[in-house]
Amino acid sequence: MLKTIIHKELSIYFRNLNSIFLPLIFFFLIISIFPLVLGPEKTLFDKIIPGIIWITAILTTLLTSNNFFKDDFNNGIIETYLTSDASIELLFFLKIVSCWIFTCLPIIIFIPLVSVLFDIPYENSIVLLITLIIGTPILISVGIFGSALTLGLSKNNILIPVIIVPFYIPVLIFSASAIESVAIGLSYEMQIYVLLAFLFLILPIMPYLLKYTLRLSINN
Amino acid sequence: MNISKIANLKFFYVNTKNISFFLSIFTLVLFLVGVYWGLYIAPIDYLQGNSYRIMYVHVPAAWLSLQTYIFMAVTGFIALVWKVKIMEIASIQSAPVGAFFTIIALVTGMIWGKPTWGTYWVWDARLTSELILLFLYIGVIVLYASFSDKRQAVKVTSLLAIIGLINIPIIHYSVEWWNTLHQGPTVTKFDKPSAHISMLTPLLYMFFVFNLYFCTVIIKRIRLGIFLREKNTKWMKEYLDD
Repeated sequence: MLKTIIHKELSIYFRNLNSIFLPLIFFFLIISIFPLVLGPEKTLFDKIIPGIIWITAILTTLLTSNNFFKDDFNNGIIETYLTSDASIELLFFLKIVSCWIFTCLPIIIFIPLVSVLFDIPYENSIVLLITLIIGTPILISVGIFGSALTLGLSKNNILIPVIIVPFYIPVLIFSASAIESVAIGLSYEMQIYVLLAFLFLILPIMPYLLKYTLRLSINN
Repeated sequence: MNISKIANLKFFYVNTKNISFFLSIFTLVLFLVGVYWGLYIAPIDYLQGNSYRIMYVHVPAAWLSLQTYIFMAVTGFIALVWKVKIMEIASIQSAPVGAFFTIIALVTGMIWGKPTWGTYWVWDARLTSELILLFLYIGVIVLYASFSDKRQAVKVTSLLAIIGLINIPIIHYSVEWWNTLHQGPTVTKFDKPSAHISMLTPLLYMFFVFNLYFCTVIIKRIRLGIFLREKNTKWMKEYLDD
């Protein structure tokens, strides 16, 4: 049962390779727009590039988690699961993980390339990588929560970002501050620990919250 | 349909008509007294002159903005768990009131900031978290507005309000922490001199009046919500015909 679900989720993503490459291309597109707008001065970008990468990661996760449940909802799978005895929490957890693997992991893998493009020092880019690895699952799960809240609606494109971006703020603050600390030579462990705390708080709760939210938002 | 619950809404609607009217008169009178107290009787501040008097609107509005969010989340929780209809209405109807208090706090804060800090806005921890609070309110309001089935909408917004209430302390403390790291301009670090009792009493009085105002408005808005939801029922038509 479990194996089938994982296989199904992953093969859905694999068969549609667009779902891997489009977020990645979008990420690079937005990143490369910034120098065009702000001018190519290196000193400016040394200071702001981690922030730019984080904002771009937010935009990417917002766009990819937007219609997370739409296909399953239209198929009727969600309702079937909600009414069955199957452990839907586990399914949601696996769905979150596979969504992360196919939308955020490609970006994280290409962060070294971005570091080369913008000449980010080695240590800063390691910290940037760590914050992204810890932070993007949080962003994805909160985004999925937003898409569960608005599942009953036909048009929800701009609504989800308006609702959930305020919830991103703590993650953003601590990630940005970790990167800034390492850039000026301070210790950054504390921020990483706080991010980890957020992650381990959200990941176990989220499947249950999603189940409850979906029951509320599609029960008629 | 459970008859006792409809009776409950009807009971509230019929019985609060006079109460809400007298409460608004009462609040208006007390408010005018408070304005007079704050603007004329309270002593002038040796540091800020007369400009500090905007505090008598600004501080209660800021307190009420948070208090209303708590009200919205708690009533939303009751509505979700015990399915109390009137709490559903109270929860969603308090969202615009809270947003209104937040906007008042932000605008009066900006007006106050110009003479004291020399600028309308700084990205200070308190200002930023108040702004985020406004966005949280707006999120609830737009989520409610985008559902066509309003009973469905209330369930979802109640959940969002509860999640938001859990998040407010996290957001608040991260923002505060963020601001202590980014050393802000020193003008914002002015220590509020511990207020003299003659300045503090009108402030607490105004806080009381703002609470009264909240009660008045929320009763009126719950009545509106009941009307909108029950306008096609028999008792409402009979009541309006009388």
